[in-house]
Amino acid sequence: MDCAIVRDEMMEVLYAEATPETARRVEEHLAICVTCRDEMAGLRHLRRDLGAWKVPPLARSAHPGRPRRPSLVPLAAAAGFVLALGAGFALSGSELRFERGVFTLRLGRGADATRELASAEERHRREIDELRAQLASAVRPATESAAADPGTVEQFQALLRESEERQARRLESSLRDLSARTETQRRYDLARVSAGLSYLDGKTGQHVARTTELMGYVLQAAEKK
Amino acid sequence: MAATDEELVDAFQAGDLSAFDDLLRRWERRIQAAIYRVMGTEDEARDLCQETFLKAYRALGGFKREARFSSWLYQIALNLCRDRMRRRKGRTLVSLDALDEEGLTPPRRQDPSPLDLVEADTLSRAVAAAIEGLPDEQREVIVLKEYQDLTFLEIAEILDVPLSTVKTRLYRGLGQLRLRLERQGIRSAAPVPAPLP
Ligand SMILES: [Zn+2]
Repeated sequence: MDCAIVRDEMMEVLYAEATPETARRVEEHLAICVTCRDEMAGLRHLRRDLGAWKVPPLARSAHPGRPRRPSLVPLAAAAGFVLALGAGFALSGSELRFERGVFTLRLGRGADATRELASAEERHRREIDELRAQLASAVRPATESAAADPGTVEQFQALLRESEERQARRLESSLRDLSARTETQRRYDLARVSAGLSYLDGKTGQHVARTTELMGYVLQAAEKK
Repeated sequence: MAATDEELVDAFQAGDLSAFDDLLRRWERRIQAAIYRVMGTEDEARDLCQETFLKAYRALGGFKREARFSSWLYQIALNLCRDRMRRRKGRTLVSLDALDEEGLTPPRRQDPSPLDLVEADTLSRAVAAAIEGLPDEQREVIVLKEYQDLTFLEIAEILDVPLSTVKTRLYRGLGQLRLRLERQGIRSAAPVPAPLP
């Protein structure tokens, strides 16, 4: 049998997925082919080596100097919260707008959920501004893990810029096809935003950029009513 | 007996949003570990894992079950990894001596490597570095097969490629890893053979 042909079958044997016939065919080939035999031995050894690479404990809530890892578990709860918001949005008479570069939220009666969203947005705006100020003076890096080199700062600025541009584009297109999307989609968008906001306890560039992006979704959804 | 993924998807689509919590608890760690191995940093693993589940939550209502739920979830995660990888490559300034001899892969880490922080083991570092240097397609298959322990069939479904392609990528990836580890002085039991005719 040809070595190249037995190769796929060797992969099956190596990962214990071979049928008995395949295993037997491979065994017969290895008995007569020293190249493949050596290769198989090498691959088995390699697999043992590969096992040495462990994933660090990914739940690191007590890791010093890092933002606390947000838990994903309350996702459905958070989403449920905004689904409620979605349904109550129109009733409460609340309105979210984007004008002259700022988000404004007009609150209707009893719009507690809406108010929460508004304060979240305000908080994140503030974070972005603070971040800008930091970057402008380049006093210190935004996160402890990011080294204070100018490349990182630049990259960070690019990220912010990129995110804002994306948001502007999204706004434009959302204005153009207001009626295209269904109520369901609108709700999903809101759910996504809410779930996203609930995780934003870190202050890294990625987080902030994503907030901006997520707020774009809120806006889209709100404009679609 | 615990509900299957598919039963939970049914429940979710029927309006029981809490079914998603169960899916999330079941898959979060595995998905996050897979992303970590593909991307190489804890921050990105956390970030993209979050994004994966947000996307999944958003799209699950329209999930058509042409593939199993887990495959669909892996697809979302890998797509996000690829997007992030593209952006990373676009943004990274590549210094000449950082270039990999074969793959010309730019350095992927901006943060101090989590391995530097968490793991001191030489072999572990060597393996991580070798895998990091693989072409994306090979790295994905290695992660899914070697570390996620998925079947060839599942991987083919996730990557939407023929079974034979999965095996070929795996074979090539493993071959690359042997070479790379040997170059770093990690000795496999058998020498790397000459390329087959
Ligand atoms: Zn042979």
